[in-house]
Amino acid sequence: MQDLLTPHTFPDLITYLEAIREAQKQALEDDPRVYIYGQDIGNFGGAFKATKNLAQSFPGRVLDSPISEDAMVGSAIGAALQGMRPIIEMQFADFSTVGLNQIVNQAATMFWRTGLPCPITVRLPSGGTPGGGPFHSQNLEAIYAHYPGLVILTPATVEDAYSMLLEAVALDDPVVFCEHKYLYYHLKAESLPQEALPVGKARIARTGRDATVVTYSAMLHEALAAAEELSADGWEIEVIDLRSIKPLDTDTVLASVARTGRVLAVGEAWPWGGVTAEVLARIATEGFNLLDAPPMRLNSKDTPVPFHPNLWGTHRPTARTIAHALRDLLRL
Amino acid sequence: MLFPTHTAKKTAGGDGEGVFSVPPSNLALLSKNPCTQGTRLSKMSAMLQLAEAPRHLGKASDFIQTYRQAFQWMLLARVAEEKIASLYRSGKITGGVFLGKGQEAISVATGMALQEGDIFAPLIRDQAGRLAFGESLLDFTLTYLGARSGPMRGRDGNVHRGRPQEGLLPMISHLGAMVSVVNGMLLAHRFQGKTGTVGAASLGDGATSTGAFHESLNQAAVEKLPLILVVTNNQYAYSTPNDRQFACKDLVDKAIGYGIRGHSVDGTDLTDCLQVIGEAVADARSGKGPQLVVANNLRLAGHGEHDDSHYVSSHFKELALGRDCLEVAKEHLLKNDWADAAQLEAWTRNCLGQVEEAVAYSLREASPDPAQEDWCALATRHLAEGLPVHVR
Amino acid sequence: MPRIPIVMPQLGESIAEATIVAFNIAVGEQVECDQDVIEVETQKAVMGVTSPCSGRVLEWSAEVQRSYAVGETLGFVECSEEEAHRLGLDGVVAEAGAMRESLPHGFSPLDAAAAHFMQVPSTSLGGVAPTLRGLPVPAHASGASFLSPRLKARMAELGLHAADLAGIAGSGAAGRLTIEDFEKFLSQLDQQHLSQASTMRVAVADAMRRSWTRPIATVGTPVVIDPLLAHRKASDPKPGPALYALRALAIALGENSALAGRLIGDKIVHPRSIDLGFAVEAEDGVLVPVLRRADVTPLKDLLVRYNELVDLARRRRLPADATGGSIATVTNFGTFGLEWATPIPLPEQTLVLGMGAGRVVPHWDAATSQFLPATEAHFTLSFDHRVLDGGGAGRLLTRIAQLLGNPAEL
Repeated sequence: MQDLLTPHTFPDLITYLEAIREAQKQALEDDPRVYIYGQDIGNFGGAFKATKNLAQSFPGRVLDSPISEDAMVGSAIGAALQGMRPIIEMQFADFSTVGLNQIVNQAATMFWRTGLPCPITVRLPSGGTPGGGPFHSQNLEAIYAHYPGLVILTPATVEDAYSMLLEAVALDDPVVFCEHKYLYYHLKAESLPQEALPVGKARIARTGRDATVVTYSAMLHEALAAAEELSADGWEIEVIDLRSIKPLDTDTVLASVARTGRVLAVGEAWPWGGVTAEVLARIATEGFNLLDAPPMRLNSKDTPVPFHPNLWGTHRPTARTIAHALRDLLRL
Repeated sequence: MLFPTHTAKKTAGGDGEGVFSVPPSNLALLSKNPCTQGTRLSKMSAMLQLAEAPRHLGKASDFIQTYRQAFQWMLLARVAEEKIASLYRSGKITGGVFLGKGQEAISVATGMALQEGDIFAPLIRDQAGRLAFGESLLDFTLTYLGARSGPMRGRDGNVHRGRPQEGLLPMISHLGAMVSVVNGMLLAHRFQGKTGTVGAASLGDGATSTGAFHESLNQAAVEKLPLILVVTNNQYAYSTPNDRQFACKDLVDKAIGYGIRGHSVDGTDLTDCLQVIGEAVADARSGKGPQLVVANNLRLAGHGEHDDSHYVSSHFKELALGRDCLEVAKEHLLKNDWADAAQLEAWTRNCLGQVEEAVAYSLREASPDPAQEDWCALATRHLAEGLPVHVR
Repeated sequence: MPRIPIVMPQLGESIAEATIVAFNIAVGEQVECDQDVIEVETQKAVMGVTSPCSGRVLEWSAEVQRSYAVGETLGFVECSEEEAHRLGLDGVVAEAGAMRESLPHGFSPLDAAAAHFMQVPSTSLGGVAPTLRGLPVPAHASGASFLSPRLKARMAELGLHAADLAGIAGSGAAGRLTIEDFEKFLSQLDQQHLSQASTMRVAVADAMRRSWTRPIATVGTPVVIDPLLAHRKASDPKPGPALYALRALAIALGENSALAGRLIGDKIVHPRSIDLGFAVEAEDGVLVPVLRRADVTPLKDLLVRYNELVDLARRRRLPADATGGSIATVTNFGTFGLEWATPIPLPEQTLVLGMGAGRVVPHWDAATSQFLPATEAHFTLSFDHRVLDGGGAGRLLTRIAQLLGNPAEL
């Protein structure tokens, strides 16, 4: 078969998407219980090519599904109960709401109700890209995180995309794996990791002393760019990549806030409730005495995700708006 | 941390990491009853010959034996549910009570046609089928009475019980949602090289209107899974009559749209139920793909015991459709001399005794204790939020 | 003739770049509008890039087998003015490349592809509305008066109060005291001589801090005390001068107790009984014994109890019923030789009456048209300005002076 890791366009680098493909390949190779089920993922290789060549390499284990998100997840749950380790690819995270019932009511409650683990991995190609529009751009991690019984992963790096997907498949619980579409081709790494932080641990992506940005997924890179911009003015911004939304590594966040006294939570998802609200609630309730200024958060606007790049680029937080918010925060 | 090795992983729930704490079913209590004697396997071995070729009717004596057995399960279900309804009205039960009165024939036929290794996803009116499939009467009473020792441990109640590790799925309330889960279990059997197993799911007429019904039946058809979908049209979904639920002439016609075989059955006639379900199961088992069975009957109880079902048209009660399948079966037994009045009386006494014993046992069982409850929804305990460190 | 750029299109969601496989048209050749001119390959598929107009290929700036980011210019087609106008290419699109270059280089790794499509000036993206606006530092709360939760927690840990930090200049936003300022201050203290404050000193400090949360004002007036001194001289035993002041204050408050009321929210809390305290210096602080119902008890009847309490206070043996619950205090700072002071009322009181040392001053005597010697002392009344105004306090003090002029009636 073709070497997946060295496509001719990127002779030396591995993209975030390729890491996801490689993790799935690895899981299929390592564990006969793993199979992948989703729309257009068979011979076609998936709408984003996350399963390119996998159907050919693993006959009968990378299956095209009908356009039936509810039945896709439901059948994965059944297979998991019988000892399989299914990976479900939602074509877009947005479509997972059609399968929401099975994820949140069936999979999430199964272990608690019956004592029988339900190890399924549901991959959600999440987040906005220019021209994606209202129904191909959503970030739904907060909805799933609201339900007990689910693990929600939001990798922001090529390395995490690989290691966390492998760990997701190995976990005995249902995992909602929110991979960011914008990062698919934009993020590249030199090699796949040999080791990684475990699920549930946040990573300090940049150290600093003046303020902490808590973020995840694609917003990590916007936050890092903002931190770089502020460093020109002498500000040292610490940036935390949560990596997993649930569980949420409150300890690492609080430890950072204890060092900086100021915090900005940034998420690409909508403002009401959600991850940034959760992060701030935990800081306010558990770390109020660490604060030098009111905790702040930055999210997308409270409208559906717009189609046109002009609107889209303004709808969500960017390095520019994060830097602006940080300057406000540092003035307080 | 190095990556987990996949090859070394155990089967889900196989040795359980000590978290799987559902108590085992208590068959000892029931062993003295002829109804429940022996395992599901031995019971089914007699049944199967008939179920495999019902239209050809193997040996007449086998069918008689099957019929008598089915009747006893129906009777036990009826007696047990009436007892639970009575407990409900005496304030002993929290939550709802949902009876399968009038639907025992189709349910028992489904439960009896299944065998060890098969999958069954019952719905709310499947007490007879559950018993026939092998569920302990104690699972029924312990769950309804909310005992800590029941299979759901007080976390879920009444009809929301099951033992998925034994092929009996615990239903969620969302109608149609169990069918694709059965599909997945059958898909797993295919991956694992298990052959000859089937999965049955029960639905009502209301569930045929859901998207899940369509998605899962289509999925089963695409994958040619050995699924038997038993739709019991009892004329009302809660209070909504058929003409507000669907507009097709007969629900069984839906099978055509999915490219699968449909079967119609008189849900009030145990003979018909045993034969049609038996044939559908045999077809599924022999690789002929999904089977849609549509039974017609009338719900002879409220949606739940909180419902007086005043909306049920008296017109139905006068039709053959409105017959009580248990009465029909009883007459059939007597008419054919397959059982006499004394035998029926003995069976009834036996069922009453059995139910009484199960209820008394369950009432003595401890209720769940919030202080002892393991408030953890994840199998991977160290990832659970909000757990004190010492219990992670 | 317009030069129309041919750019790398966004060939699929999330695609960031594509590789040139081949050019179908050589430089100089004619192309039709919508004709495939370049073959490119993404991770998803091989696709054609079309010419936006009919015309002649001017140049290919891209190379085969190299990949280009979405939005990058791959070459140019020259077309007629009419063609450009007909296709709407004589406006913004031709300038798209320039727009992209106007964005700060390398500013945002993820903005680059989108930037190509953005036809709004980059500066307009600066406006940001955080999900929850941070609460601004209140306008009056600059400097040390705004303490962050972190600083407050650190102070609580050390048992410090805002007043303890008054000497630190803040270096933070709006002159705020930062945790760094604070820790620096602490480390400087460590280099000086430190001694333990007495329990009484700490208690007084606490009372004064609480009291100082109110707007306190003081009025004063000289009072000729010769009649008081004469009365005292004639008495046996002799009442202390403060007792005369206390009795005068008691009578005045008995006439209108609202003057000693406390303001709580929008209510005046009236005294239940005219119980007055008097300050007695003891060790490292001040104790305030209380004489109950001083408005209805004549001076001579208060005397024994007064002397007893002074003695007990000096020995720090005050009984429970002689402390607390007083509505105003009298303090004789004249005993320190002082003529004038502005005492601070106790936190639970509205008034404190002070008296200074007497001294003989020339006093104009209208009857004899000459200056005669008279003994005069200054009386001060400090009050919670929320409850009383200067007028009310002045009338009360004048009434007290009047009563002191006739000590036999006290």
